Amino acid sequence: MKEIRFEDLNVGSEMPKLVKLPIDQVQLVKYAGASGDFHPLHCDPAFGKKVGIGQIAHGMLVMGFAGEALTNWISKKHLRKLSVRFVGMTRPGDVVIVTGKITEKKQEGEQYIVWGEIVARNQKDEMLLSGSFEAARLDTSGHK
Amino acid sequence: MADQTAVGKEFPPFTWEVERGKIREFVQAIGDKNPIYTDKEAAVRAGYKDSPTPPTFPIVLVMWTNMLWETFSAAKINFERALHGEEIYEYYQEIYPNDVLIGRMKIVGMETKFGGTGGKMDIIRLEILYTNQRNEPVLKAMTVLVERK
Repeated sequence: MKEIRFEDLNVGSEMPKLVKLPIDQVQLVKYAGASGDFHPLHCDPAFGKKVGIGQIAHGMLVMGFAGEALTNWISKKHLRKLSVRFVGMTRPGDVVIVTGKITEKKQEGEQYIVWGEIVARNQKDEMLLSGSFEAARLDTSGHK
Repeated sequence: MADQTAVGKEFPPFTWEVERGKIREFVQAIGDKNPIYTDKEAAVRAGYKDSPTPPTFPIVLVMWTNMLWETFSAAKINFERALHGEEIYEYYQEIYPNDVLIGRMKIVGMETKFGGTGGKMDIIRLEILYTNQRNEPVLKAMTVLVERK
């Protein structure tokens, strides 16, 4: 995987869009097992019905997609902060689309810091998650 | 109604040893095919010591140790009415397989808000600081839970 250079990241630079496969029940089962989050709202469609909001996917799965999109673009080792708000409910069958861009950049000599926004929407263009990130190429030796 | 007196509560430190297989399981569930997470050699070529953990991996620690559920009972949050509002991670160092992390969790805030439709909700804020086996801070995780009325 080719690493993006901080020199090439500028305000307005867009993250390559990530379009996920539709979330199915199997993925929710896998994510429940991997994360340890067995909340019945995610795992049991009957429970969702009972509490009146229906089955929803784990917000953290959608944040996982955001992390995937982000670290496909900017190396994980440069990531300093990832912050998200879960603003919509993600349903089984939803296709999650993650986009993002750089909103601020600071350069001091060889050192760079970038800030950006990241958004996940579904196939109906409804916002699921909205967040921000910070990445830096500072002293890489300390980050190994 | 969440219990306001739980604000400031600190939980006993919890320990988690990072396993390589758990990282693989986690990225497979997400469908993240970045080889650095599953292939040590690819990670080393990309400038890591070993396969790093992906950005949202810390959720595994609070869920599999049941620590998140501990906060639900400590703050008397109704499990059936709770939603995840926000999640924030600050990364200080990479977390690698075989690292032994200690998490210190605290309930840092609670407030009642009124939603757009007049519905009442409690906002509960948690913070966890993780250190590694060298007692170095590696990560801060902040979680916002929403309890609908």
